[in-house]
Amino acid sequence: MTAVLLIEDDDRIRLSLTLALEDEGYTAYGAATAEDGLAEQRRVAADTVLVDLMLPGMDGYECIRQLRRDDDVPIVVISARDDTHDIVAALEAGADDYLIKPVAVKELAARLRALRRRTRAASTPALRVLTFGDLELRPEAGEVRRHGTEVPVTRTEFRLLCELADHAGQVLSREQLLDRVWGYEIGDERLVDVHVGRLRQKIEEVPGKPRHLVTVRGLGYKLQP
Amino acid sequence: MRRAGLRTRVSAAFAVGALALSACVTVMSYELTRSTLLRERERTAVRSTYFDASAVDAGLARRNANVGDVLGSLDIGADRYVLVQRSGRWYARSADTDAHAAVPAALQEKAAGGQAAAQRVDRDGVPAVVVAVPLDEDTVFYEIVTLRELEQTLQLLALVLAAVATMMAAGGAAVGWYVTRHALRPLGWVADAARGIADGDLGTRLDPDTEPDLAPLTASFNHMADELTRRMQRDRRFAADVSHELRSPLQTLAAAVSVVDRRRDGLDERTAAAVGLITDEISRFQELVGDLLELARSDQPAQREATNIVELAARVVRTHRLGDDLVEITAGDDARTWDIDARRIEQALGNLVENAVRYGGGPVAVRVGPGFLEVDDAGPGVPEDLRSSIFDRFVRGPAANARGAGEGTGLGLAIVAEHAAAHGGSVSVTDRPGGGARFRIDLPEYQG
Repeated sequence: MTAVLLIEDDDRIRLSLTLALEDEGYTAYGAATAEDGLAEQRRVAADTVLVDLMLPGMDGYECIRQLRRDDDVPIVVISARDDTHDIVAALEAGADDYLIKPVAVKELAARLRALRRRTRAASTPALRVLTFGDLELRPEAGEVRRHGTEVPVTRTEFRLLCELADHAGQVLSREQLLDRVWGYEIGDERLVDVHVGRLRQKIEEVPGKPRHLVTVRGLGYKLQP
Repeated sequence: MRRAGLRTRVSAAFAVGALALSACVTVMSYELTRSTLLRERERTAVRSTYFDASAVDAGLARRNANVGDVLGSLDIGADRYVLVQRSGRWYARSADTDAHAAVPAALQEKAAGGQAAAQRVDRDGVPAVVVAVPLDEDTVFYEIVTLRELEQTLQLLALVLAAVATMMAAGGAAVGWYVTRHALRPLGWVADAARGIADGDLGTRLDPDTEPDLAPLTASFNHMADELTRRMQRDRRFAADVSHELRSPLQTLAAAVSVVDRRRDGLDERTAAAVGLITDEISRFQELVGDLLELARSDQPAQREATNIVELAARVVRTHRLGDDLVEITAGDDARTWDIDARRIEQALGNLVENAVRYGGGPVAVRVGPGFLEVDDAGPGVPEDLRSSIFDRFVRGPAANARGAGEGTGLGLAIVAEHAAAHGGSVSVTDRPGGGARFRIDLPEYQG
């Protein structure tokens, strides 16, 4: 049974979403504040965390950062805010996906399934090692090494990197990446851009002047040695 | 009639002023020159007449003198005529026997009284001076001096002065134009700033130091801009607050109703029907809230970026689960990268396609041309009288009404219009050749 933690201050939303998610076959836990949510996650180690941005006390962005600090658990933001600024800030804090309220339960379930699929795919054992200059990627072990040292990446970042590595030297459009990494037929391209930015912070010598993960203007991204 | 512009009026006033002034000066100097020259010429005429008169007097004193011969012996030019009136009879040189007709009666009377006199006359349209010198009781010597040369000089002078006056007037107009250009330049700055604000650049302000004389104008303009910005920010905050306030209960409703909807099979028929209604209405409510928020924010400037319009159109068609072959491209290779807010244009085109799907029996073509997008459908079309109001909020066409108010939000086309306007473009609807409606978005500034 997959466990989902919902951090949401609105009791009615928390209750209704918990009921709906249980209908969809998940074990749902709820928390009304970011502090409770962090404690709950340490206790239950849910497979996915859903976070609202406007929370009393610690806000959603800080909550995402703290969750990210000790966990690569997929984080999905569910917020009523739909300004580009808010979306990008949440993704930059470490969220994997962003949904705007009101979210249809079917849509939410589809997103969670997509996250689970890529999590499972990453944990199949094998021994491939892909090398890009100072970068070393072990897709089946879920490891990225730079100069031999392991770089901590989230599961979504890892999936994105593997997708680009599987098509090394080849340009993948944002649309293709959205489809292959997030499972969106049509989605928000900012998801890709922010995740690429986050990856560059971790794998590039100079994130502002990327050598490996380069942008091909008007087309998309590609990975090169 | 349209009132002439300030600049035109000021320039005209300058021109009229310069013309009046130069006309005054011209007329005065002309008159002065004319009277001086005439007086001078008259004096010369009198002097030469006296000289001639003494010669004639001497000639007539000789015995058997023939008056005609005496007159003929005088050395005169083409401009002078000499006459003698003796005992009421006129004598002249053979060439000009009618010359005496020009001698005015008043002058004859004066001369008959034994008085020398001069009078200015008009002889066949040419001004002339007639000088009378009585020689004895019944003999008067007359000399007619025409002023043709003088007249020509004066005409030339008049011409020159008129030309000068005209040039002065033109010069005045030019000065007026030049001066107003400088005086009106600050108004140009105000106009630019106002345009900037209207285009959504709310940070535009006037520098109060550039033109101290216009400080009150700059101050009130900047105050207005501040006030406007404050209100727009407040409205935007309100839209964001409404968004949150409406979306949270909607989220609860959507999640709760899905729980009930899952168990619809176990419900009795009446309850199941009611649950079905609630589910449908909640999804329409969600759509409505989304559309309302989109409209509330639609006055924000377009976030333009280079976008492949062909890919965008293909994406829209795919989103609506229609075939890629629906997209017709008439734009050349150089007209496929548009500088637009991709999200908003995608939504606008999406709404037109959605509109065609719902009320037009499905789109038959989605056309991408240079600077325009068209969506053709095979529906009943839009009646002439509805073609502009159909883009207003909550206005539904007959096709939408026929399907009941339960379909759509009534905001889709209004959003299209707002997005087009945010790009400096427009949206319109016409008949498609062969039936149906043709919706068209024109984006004249599509290449930045």
